[in-house]
Amino acid sequence: MRRIAGIVLAVLLIGGVVAAVVAGRQGDDKGTATKTVRGVIGSEKSDFFADPDVVKALAAKGYTVKTEASGSWAMDGLDLKGYDFAFPSSSAPADELAEKYHARQPLPRPFYSPLVVVAHRSAARVLAANGLAVLDGKGKGTLKMASYLDAARHDRTWQQLKGAKAYGELTGTLYITSTDPETSNSGALYLAAASYVANGGRVVASTADVTRTAPLLHKLVSVQGAQQPSSDSVFRDFISGAGNPLVCLYESQVVSLLAEQHGSDDLVVLYPDTTVNSDHTVVPLDDAGRALGELLSTDPTLRRLAVRHGFRPQGDSAEFVRATADRAAYLNQTLTGVRQAPVPTSAVLHEMARRARG
Amino acid sequence: MNRRVLPALLAAAAVVLAGCTTEDHGDDSTAPKPGTLRVLASSELSDMTAVFDRVRKDTGVTIRPTYMGTLDAIDLLAKGKADGKYDALWLSSDDYLRLRPQAAKKVVSETSIMSSPVAIGVRPATVKALGWKPADVTWSQIEQAVEAGKLTYGMTDPARSNSGFSTLVSVASALSGAQSALTDDDVLKATPRLRKFFKGQKLTSGSSGWLATAYQRRTDVDALLNYESVLKGIPDLTVIRPSDGVLTADYPFSSLASTSSATREDVRRVTQDLRTTAVQKLITDTTRRRPVVASVPPAAGLDTTRRRELPFPGTKSVADGLISAFENDLRRPSRTIYVLDTSGSMKGDRLSRLKTALTDLTSDFRNREEITLMPFASGVKSVRTHVVDPRDKRAGLDGIRQDTAALTADGSTAIYTSLEKAYDNLRVERDTFTSIVLMTDGENTAGAKAGDFDGFYRGLPLAQRNIPVFPILFGDSSRAELQHIADLTGGRLFDARQGSLDGAFEEIRGYQ
Repeated sequence: MRRIAGIVLAVLLIGGVVAAVVAGRQGDDKGTATKTVRGVIGSEKSDFFADPDVVKALAAKGYTVKTEASGSWAMDGLDLKGYDFAFPSSSAPADELAEKYHARQPLPRPFYSPLVVVAHRSAARVLAANGLAVLDGKGKGTLKMASYLDAARHDRTWQQLKGAKAYGELTGTLYITSTDPETSNSGALYLAAASYVANGGRVVASTADVTRTAPLLHKLVSVQGAQQPSSDSVFRDFISGAGNPLVCLYESQVVSLLAEQHGSDDLVVLYPDTTVNSDHTVVPLDDAGRALGELLSTDPTLRRLAVRHGFRPQGDSAEFVRATADRAAYLNQTLTGVRQAPVPTSAVLHEMARRARG
Repeated sequence: MNRRVLPALLAAAAVVLAGCTTEDHGDDSTAPKPGTLRVLASSELSDMTAVFDRVRKDTGVTIRPTYMGTLDAIDLLAKGKADGKYDALWLSSDDYLRLRPQAAKKVVSETSIMSSPVAIGVRPATVKALGWKPADVTWSQIEQAVEAGKLTYGMTDPARSNSGFSTLVSVASALSGAQSALTDDDVLKATPRLRKFFKGQKLTSGSSGWLATAYQRRTDVDALLNYESVLKGIPDLTVIRPSDGVLTADYPFSSLASTSSATREDVRRVTQDLRTTAVQKLITDTTRRRPVVASVPPAAGLDTTRRRELPFPGTKSVADGLISAFENDLRRPSRTIYVLDTSGSMKGDRLSRLKTALTDLTSDFRNREEITLMPFASGVKSVRTHVVDPRDKRAGLDGIRQDTAALTADGSTAIYTSLEKAYDNLRVERDTFTSIVLMTDGENTAGAKAGDFDGFYRGLPLAQRNIPVFPILFGDSSRAELQHIADLTGGRLFDARQGSLDGAFEEIRGYQ
């Protein structure tokens, strides 16, 4: 009897599943006529793709975009079968992926964002008082990279800096928190910027250059202990009041935070006097992926929405300046006095990261 | 019905029936179900039920958590035992996970949801007696109070629970004077001070939940070290974040590499919902953790002044070295009596399972630990004590293995008489974490009755009443009977009928 009941149950179940599938299909067909495009993206672009207005703008052009976040430098370890595009945060891993998956150059680069250091006000003030930074108003300033690297080289602690005593949280070695350079783009770009300065204002290119800069880069990383895998995590720690008072991340993250919460009493954005740009580059894995990449670069609505999320669209800097006028107290809108260092090749950066972590 | 369909239906029916049978005695939290995320979660996340309900309402996705100590969960992941059984991972921190490449590669994306720093919760009377100003208390001051004999505390086991490990790292960083991430040298240098600091630990636990319960019945424990969120949930504690630095848990919700894209889509929707203003507010208001979106302020009562964030060790050698030093050298040793049912009903498979479980356990005993085996049936059959001497670990462990191999099953079941004998054996107080493990496969059939034992226990001096019994439910033992023993003595019941006997013995290690 039990057995028969089981069979009947099974028949009912199977019928149910088939009915559900059919009903589901019909529902989909009726609802929209968009094409679903899947991609793996750097975590800092998650909010952009989740924005209802972005979803709407993409749908208007016939796309539903499904994304999953991954460290930009970890993407080459993923199986990208079934995905239409990868969207790392830098051209170096993008070029590597393009080669691996035979994606045609040039790759669409819809927007970019420079690397910045966010600081709690207490930390920024102490840095300024000790010649490590120059403040421009309350919310922004410039970080003197050469002076900072010199302090790092000598294991300078906060206690050794004048004015730090007033703030109980400022003790221990002075350092900037970054992400893991072996898997995450912002961490790798931090090393790119630091190595350029440490190498006498030249991009690190040879084995000799790597060897020369390795001890300092190792110091910058090992002092941090365990590192987070994504720029989003370090930023969330910063916002929740945990973590180190100096954190290296993308300008775009700060711009969108400020859009969410106008002004912040305890935030100073320091632009390193030598920094690097994160070039958000689409690696199309098929035609749908390429079409999406082109759309992100050219569609006026999507470009405007990219600015909402803090990115600087390629080509027209006025667009960004206009849209962020209300946050000018925190942003160096025209990147005045900020030098863009070129990023080493992917192979060199990998080697640099490996030795810095090792 | 045509001929081709029938065999297919029979096969399907067989699958359904087989499914029913496994579910009958298996753990159904491992069965996949569309719209449900099976989440391997740190134990203290059991306070998130209201948030899970809200997420289900918002997204239609049900979160089905399986709670486990963070370090045990990482171990499971590294051994590949989580593949196909879980869809997502939600630990208090992924820092230690990243030091184990085998575990780290199982995780694809991480999204921080909330944060809570390590803190110390102190009885207000103790704060007053010590003359402390909560905003300015440092780890060195806590150390001084411990050394002066004015402060005792409880904490979770760093080898199992992330709250314990984060506490250990915080204390080691502060007392070693390390200016950046801990190194092996720092740990070595701090060892003498750490040993003194951990003399003050009077209570250990494998989970934050039991620690809080045990603390409330103990009058000789002044403070607890744990996450701020856990401490804020215990009435009448002054919660202090030491001003010279703490480690903070950031609760990343992570999707697993072994899952399908549909599952990851569910994870994405859940994490997105958890980051909304409304849910972040619910989180901080109901669990006292700190939000990670700027538009939501931390719940009232969470002090927002800044603390230095102590770095988490960057290498596995430092992290493991610290845990090993703690277990084998820094902490007070443990002293345990295993009261083991070897009555007639244990004969055959049950006895061999007990022997395997005990033999496996010997690899886990710590240096300086004292283990007494007390097999019983109609009465206690023998009392054999072994010590794991760091100079000759083999001798003690071999002794336990030999005694285990010699166990035989016969006689009836005198649970209470045997427990009384165990307490008699622990009359001489020593500076150890002392506890009793009771494993039985049946109900009490001989000797003293439950009521007799209650009277016996209540007549014990305070020091002995502080010794908990951890009963293990096995075979045909009575849940009510064993739960009563756990409640009476301040222990905790472990169920080896759901999991395995090995698993239960293993889990109890965190409480010894």
